[in-house]
Amino acid sequence: MVEFLQFLVPGILIGGVYALLASGLGLIFGVMRVVNFAQADFMMLAMYLSWALFAGGVGLDPFLAVPAVFFVFLLLGMAVHWLFIRFVIGRRENHDAQVILTIGLGLIFQNLILIRYSSEPRVVAPSYANAGDFIGDIFISRVRLYAFLLSVLVAALVFLFLNRSATGRAIRAASENWEAATYMGVDIDRTNRIAFGVGVALTAVGGSALVTFQSITPFVGLRFVVVMFAAVVLGGLGSVRGAFVGGVLIGVIQSVSQVWTSAAVKNVWVFALFLLILYVRPNGLFGKAQRAI
Amino acid sequence: MLEISDLRASYDGVPALRSIDFQVGAGERVAILGPNGAGKTTLLKTISGTVEVDAGTIRFEGRDLHSQPPHKRVEAGIVHVPQGRMIFASMTVTDNLRLGSHRGGAQHRHGERLDLVLEIFPALADMLNRDGGALSGGQQQMLAVARGVMACPRLLMLDEPSMGLAPRAADSVFEGIARLLESETTATIVVEQRAHEALEICERAYVLESGEVVLEASNRALLTDERLAAAYLGSET
Repeated sequence: MVEFLQFLVPGILIGGVYALLASGLGLIFGVMRVVNFAQADFMMLAMYLSWALFAGGVGLDPFLAVPAVFFVFLLLGMAVHWLFIRFVIGRRENHDAQVILTIGLGLIFQNLILIRYSSEPRVVAPSYANAGDFIGDIFISRVRLYAFLLSVLVAALVFLFLNRSATGRAIRAASENWEAATYMGVDIDRTNRIAFGVGVALTAVGGSALVTFQSITPFVGLRFVVVMFAAVVLGGLGSVRGAFVGGVLIGVIQSVSQVWTSAAVKNVWVFALFLLILYVRPNGLFGKAQRAI
Repeated sequence: MLEISDLRASYDGVPALRSIDFQVGAGERVAILGPNGAGKTTLLKTISGTVEVDAGTIRFEGRDLHSQPPHKRVEAGIVHVPQGRMIFASMTVTDNLRLGSHRGGAQHRHGERLDLVLEIFPALADMLNRDGGALSGGQQQMLAVARGVMACPRLLMLDEPSMGLAPRAADSVFEGIARLLESETTATIVVEQRAHEALEICERAYVLESGEVVLEASNRALLTDERLAAAYLGSET
């Protein structure tokens, strides 16, 4: 039992971070039906920003840097939407263009970082990086606990923004029916731009929550992109809440499966469950029947 | 108030509107009648800005709307209640109504408009916390009209408010619309298959066929002239 809990607790903790990474992707897809293949590379950029702020003389703690990371990536996301994404939104014919554009952006981000910082892994090791506490017999890593709490806090704030603010309400309306939202006077281009910025910022914050226990390379996104997409599909395409639950579930499965099988095959269990859930609920846990766009 | 001249629009090269001339005066109620595919909905969409215009001009209170995006037109007071209701099914009635007053000055008049809307459609008062998707068809249509009223329209455009409704539900929607038009002086355009109901609440009507205005007449002329009635209002008269 103790052994099981010793795997379950870290699973929940990392699952919270996966959840935040995935909810950014889920928000963007839900609002503007764009599958952003560059999402994990925004995460990678955020990890480098956290590293630069920590190691580059400023010495800023990666958890304290989160508000700065959020706002930098909110603006970066809005800029990328304005410069590129808005031209490929909407029509069904644009789908190929969306795929090529976002994959291309991801490749450009990876290679710019490779040119600037080489492929050498970077680490962010604050003084408490290896600290932890025993609760009963269960050891809890402090940085992973902070990462989890941060992810839940940021997700809760975004949930409040979407449900309580006028802009959040307009974003939800546009995601449900953009034409009807247009008739309400919602500026769809603006809600898309904000949603893209917030979606990118969510994943970016997830990335900076990871830096204290995940080494950083230009290609670190590839390690997480599968988890993010699996979480979004598992939770139900278009549902931010679903993406969040999907992320937690994947973290738990990856971790708990190590009680019985090697860590090397942890993603096998994720995909076994993935297939099972989609077999029983083809639209995911919280998904509704797909609309055609 | 609204002046449209020589308006043309098309879908993928197929003309939907061919040289439409159309006016609505301040506070006037105008019906647009005609068969399916005549271009009635397209005409409303060119006014609200969701369909692009090929040629011609649309002026609202003297201003050319050509370069105005749809949300600016809502701000100017042009409010379109679309065909098929298009309420936000996953959001509560309250949130749907809040979205109605999303834009510009309507936000500050939310409370006052809410009172008005619940007076016009008392049935909605008990449903404020329900999801839009949980309402009946008639209630959803009331919500769609109410949501439009929340926006403080200067020109209200109702596209087929009775579509897909059982006769009794359609009657209660029309009763609400009639109450609205009594208490407000909003200029209104009604597109409707139930021509008689539309003519009862309107002063003037345009009949569209194949993207052209084939008749413009007062409601009295349409209702009393047997030949006009037989030609344009169906066989029941």
